[in-house]
Amino acid sequence: MATTTDLSTVRQSVDKANGLPNAHYIDPDVFLEERDALLFSQWSGIAVAADVPEIGDAVPIEFLGMPMLLLRDRDNQVRVYQNICRHRGMILVEEPRKIEGAIRCSYHSWCYGLDGRLVSTPHVGGPGQNTHESVDRKQLGLIEVRSKIWRDVVWINVSGDAPEFEDAMHEVIQRWSEFEQPVYHGGADSKFSLEVNCNWKLAVENYCESYHLPWVHPGLNSYSRLEDHYHIEKPEHHSGQGTLVYRQLNGENGAMFPDFPKLSQKWDTAAEYIACYPNVMLGVHRDHAFAIILTPNQQDKTTEHVHLYYSTPETDDALRAKNAAQWKEVFVEDIGVVEGMQRGRHAIGFDGGHFSPVMDSPTHCFHDWCASQIDAHRATKQAAE
Amino acid sequence: MSDALDRELLNAHERGDKTALVTLYSQAADNANTDDAKYFYMTHAYIFALDTGHPIAQQLRAKLVIAGREA
Repeated sequence: MATTTDLSTVRQSVDKANGLPNAHYIDPDVFLEERDALLFSQWSGIAVAADVPEIGDAVPIEFLGMPMLLLRDRDNQVRVYQNICRHRGMILVEEPRKIEGAIRCSYHSWCYGLDGRLVSTPHVGGPGQNTHESVDRKQLGLIEVRSKIWRDVVWINVSGDAPEFEDAMHEVIQRWSEFEQPVYHGGADSKFSLEVNCNWKLAVENYCESYHLPWVHPGLNSYSRLEDHYHIEKPEHHSGQGTLVYRQLNGENGAMFPDFPKLSQKWDTAAEYIACYPNVMLGVHRDHAFAIILTPNQQDKTTEHVHLYYSTPETDDALRAKNAAQWKEVFVEDIGVVEGMQRGRHAIGFDGGHFSPVMDSPTHCFHDWCASQIDAHRATKQAAE
Repeated sequence: MSDALDRELLNAHERGDKTALVTLYSQAADNANTDDAKYFYMTHAYIFALDTGHPIAQQLRAKLVIAGREA
């Protein structure tokens, strides 16, 4: 029997609310409940399109226990399939590789095109007889997972019944409409992953708020003080923070990244950092952007996949490396606190914590969204029963 | 199938040399004594051709379709 937590105090206004109960961070049953309520039923980030840069590139990904296959098909479209053969449910692709021809199951050699069509079923009607009237290839293609590419992030909706991506994300798409232009992944030196011993939500919560910046990132104090930040809150959609004093990075000989074209004056010194619920954290600046995709591995283990983007395909190598190193330093500084909060969730009787009504509202916004989605999920489940 | 071809096939499987498997299974099909054996081996050649994107795949498929062995 799964744990049913009381979320009533979470849904209070920020001055009265508690954070999510401990079980939402440490209980495997609640982790599974949240898998369905917060991740599979929404648009979740799973990878970036840059992970499959060329036609035929295929990458197996396990997302919350589900085997997925990310690939770029012959029409240059990025697709996500369940990584299983329709015959016996065998895993199709075990490691990242380029598919030169068809996707062949290693078990009985059923073959699929990159467009998901089942193209051959060897010996299915007996030796040397590759058809059988009961095996309708048209009905047995790869199972495609609903997906959408935005800001190079591959978003998936596993349940298949979330609103259209553009509707679900319209608030943030609209807010950042000036950044609706091509982004170019910085390449191998512009991505890194961090293994963190915490529940995925703690990474979101920490990302949302600027309250911790002077304490956890003292290096930012010299130019980006707490009072230079503002909250971003769109209940039911996203939350985050912005800064008014973004300074461009300078390299040797005054090298700088080129700006994204045609941005308004606001972005000369502004930068924004938004957690797109549930598990994608985006940042935009006049001259670069980043995406962090959280892969929840267990209730207390998360992988953060960080990718940096620029306005042009080619950028200064040294400057790009410096930028990646700088961001990595910031994100590594956060690990101690998110892991500390994770350990703190084992304190029996902890009530979820008390928010600063002034400084913590973006985090509360996220908790309120989680609680509302979980409540809705429970109501649907109960009605079905 | 001759012992020599059988050995070559086993070696190709061991090496994971799928291009060689296309050729060797095609040879096995050509040398088979019965239709069932012929199309069994031709199916293998076809599958490894599909797997590797070998251009002969469509020819092999056409032969199998004509023989009523493939859709």
